[in-house]
Amino acid sequence: MQREVGTLPLAPALRARLAAAGFQTAQELLDTGPCGLSKEIGISREEALEALQVVRQECHGDAARTAGGSAAARKCTALELLEEEQTQGFIITFCSALDNILGGGVQLTKITEICGAPGVGKTQLCMQLAVDVQIPECFGGVAGEAVFIDTEGSFMVDRVVDIAAACVQHCHLIAEAQQEEDHRKALETFSLENILSHIYYFRCRDYVELLAQVYLLPEFLSEHSKVRLVVIDGIAFPFRHDFEDLSLRTRLLNGLAQQLIIIANDHKAAVVLTNQMTTRIGQSHSTLVPALGESWGHAATVRLIFHWDNCQRLATLYKSPSQKESTVPYHITSHGFRDVQPPAVTHSAEGTEMNPRKRPRTEEEKH
Amino acid sequence: MDWDQFDLNPKTIAALKKADIKSVKEILNLSGADLQRLMKLSSADIQCLLKTVSRTLRRNSMVTALQLYQDKDHLTSQHQKLSLGCSVLDSLLRGGIPLMGITELAGESSAGKTQISLQLCLCVQYPYQYGGLESGAVYVCTEDVFPSKRLQQLIDQQHKLRADVPAEIIQKIRFGNSIFVERAADLDTFQQCITRRLSLLLARGMVRLVVIDSIAALFRCEFGPSESAVKARYLQTFGAQLHSLSTRFRTPIMCINQKCVILYRGVGNRVTPALGITWSNQLLMRLMVSRISLPGQSSGVASPCAGSMRTLRVVFAPHLPPSFCYYTVQLEGVKGIK
Repeated sequence: MQREVGTLPLAPALRARLAAAGFQTAQELLDTGPCGLSKEIGISREEALEALQVVRQECHGDAARTAGGSAAARKCTALELLEEEQTQGFIITFCSALDNILGGGVQLTKITEICGAPGVGKTQLCMQLAVDVQIPECFGGVAGEAVFIDTEGSFMVDRVVDIAAACVQHCHLIAEAQQEEDHRKALETFSLENILSHIYYFRCRDYVELLAQVYLLPEFLSEHSKVRLVVIDGIAFPFRHDFEDLSLRTRLLNGLAQQLIIIANDHKAAVVLTNQMTTRIGQSHSTLVPALGESWGHAATVRLIFHWDNCQRLATLYKSPSQKESTVPYHITSHGFRDVQPPAVTHSAEGTEMNPRKRPRTEEEKH
Repeated sequence: MDWDQFDLNPKTIAALKKADIKSVKEILNLSGADLQRLMKLSSADIQCLLKTVSRTLRRNSMVTALQLYQDKDHLTSQHQKLSLGCSVLDSLLRGGIPLMGITELAGESSAGKTQISLQLCLCVQYPYQYGGLESGAVYVCTEDVFPSKRLQQLIDQQHKLRADVPAEIIQKIRFGNSIFVERAADLDTFQQCITRRLSLLLARGMVRLVVIDSIAALFRCEFGPSESAVKARYLQTFGAQLHSLSTRFRTPIMCINQKCVILYRGVGNRVTPALGITWSNQLLMRLMVSRISLPGQSSGVASPCAGSMRTLRVVFAPHLPPSFCYYTVQLEGVKGIK
């Protein structure tokens, strides 16, 4: 109630007039009423009514916040955050080496960026993740849905069908080996058509469409609350031409990054972006670096760089707040993204679990 | 821009007109604070404006992967591809050339790139059920003269190459009439060609294939090693324009590229397509053709007794594994060998 007029979310011109007329706190505005207000500062009655409505909403919001419980300014200890993070889900990539260096897989609520030269496997990993996010919880997945924003036109649905079919097959093999009731039940709904129907595909032809789509994402994710993955393939393509003014580009990219961070947090979703590589010409030689400049490097929490070493594909974890920098090889088969050598399949309960972090089932829990 | 068609508050529309904001792009380019200042509206109003214009721009833009998979309509389906006129080559590419995006065909000289492109210019004119797009083609020559004699040979022999198509259908197609040849020997002419000629032909529905032979020739002489930034900008602009035309008109763009030798310090030479990573980033798919050299012969020497056997290799594509197949160049055209 004692909020200063200058902090209210009104039009700047209106705020200036209120200040000139001598109003200082929100309470004074509410006390004056719409007729008095319109007479005092020379605006129409409708405008005065609207302004007072805004003020009332703001004060109401303030009261709710100070009463405690709103998510906007929540205080918690680092221990609570740690516990929350440890229960956070991961989306596995089906390449256990890559999952290991990431600490379990692609983490929810974080932005992961994948950089690499054309043809190295960025889109393949994105398609794999769009399928893997849907793996049921009893198989170690997060049972979510996926949003796929395509700016390059490289989403070929035939390939997604191959990957999804292989994933369903893999789950069937585990279910057969373990013979558990909830596995069988989950497989009833985990089918090819089901997987495809839960990948929401958006095609953006330029950066304006991409910006508009990201503005609409929070609403979409609220309507589709099971979405746990947002892929933007690729983020660099629409921003690397068309910009005479690079500062505009930097500002737009920063805004985009902010929005994606909020989306990742509010909706407990993983955001995965793919980026191109560009040549940085140094003094004596040139190197390949991720595109979009230095400031973009701060946008993602986790950065993976895919590259070639002769004929072997390698993934390097380049930036991560909790894991150390390391490089692992990976393979792209007709089934999708995989390890170079398939891990030894043992028939114990832990061995065939896909997510090593999941606790093994014990007899007491079953009954 | 007619702001009245958007579902906006009259107050907002008045503010937009007063601030002389003419397009959705302008709105999205400005920051929230700038918009508030220019339009003299509150931040809640600005958020509402942003959501409304975004919603209108992106109306009906969501499709599920299942819908994409089940779409069999030849006007919109992803399964629709441009056949190469040979079942072996088509099965290497899982149907043919994708309709949206830039496909590159790279390789050493006289490996068969022009032969494949000419064949595509004929294939595109067949009906949909025979793998064509029922439309013509634009052939942009940037260095050599257009091989019209060879084209005529191929036209005369179509019945032999396309034994899968009934003869009366082949006879009805006026192949020569629907191939438009453009010449663009330098960057400015090429730019004009894309923005004027290509857009016009595509908008009128007269062509559904664009061949650029070759993209590397445009850049060969004009840029020294210190002008790599300028060259990169041209490549990005061309790539973006071609990509945009391809997406808008569902038309495959086939760019022919040459090979060049990159010298790596200490590691030796590597043969790679010209134009570097800036160009590669614009591509959907890269194919490479090469001649098979017999032992004891250098690869540049044309050998009549080698049987003119070549390889067509998929270097990268989002839906194909790296694979290859053999083919030969016959009188009637390019034919794959199983």
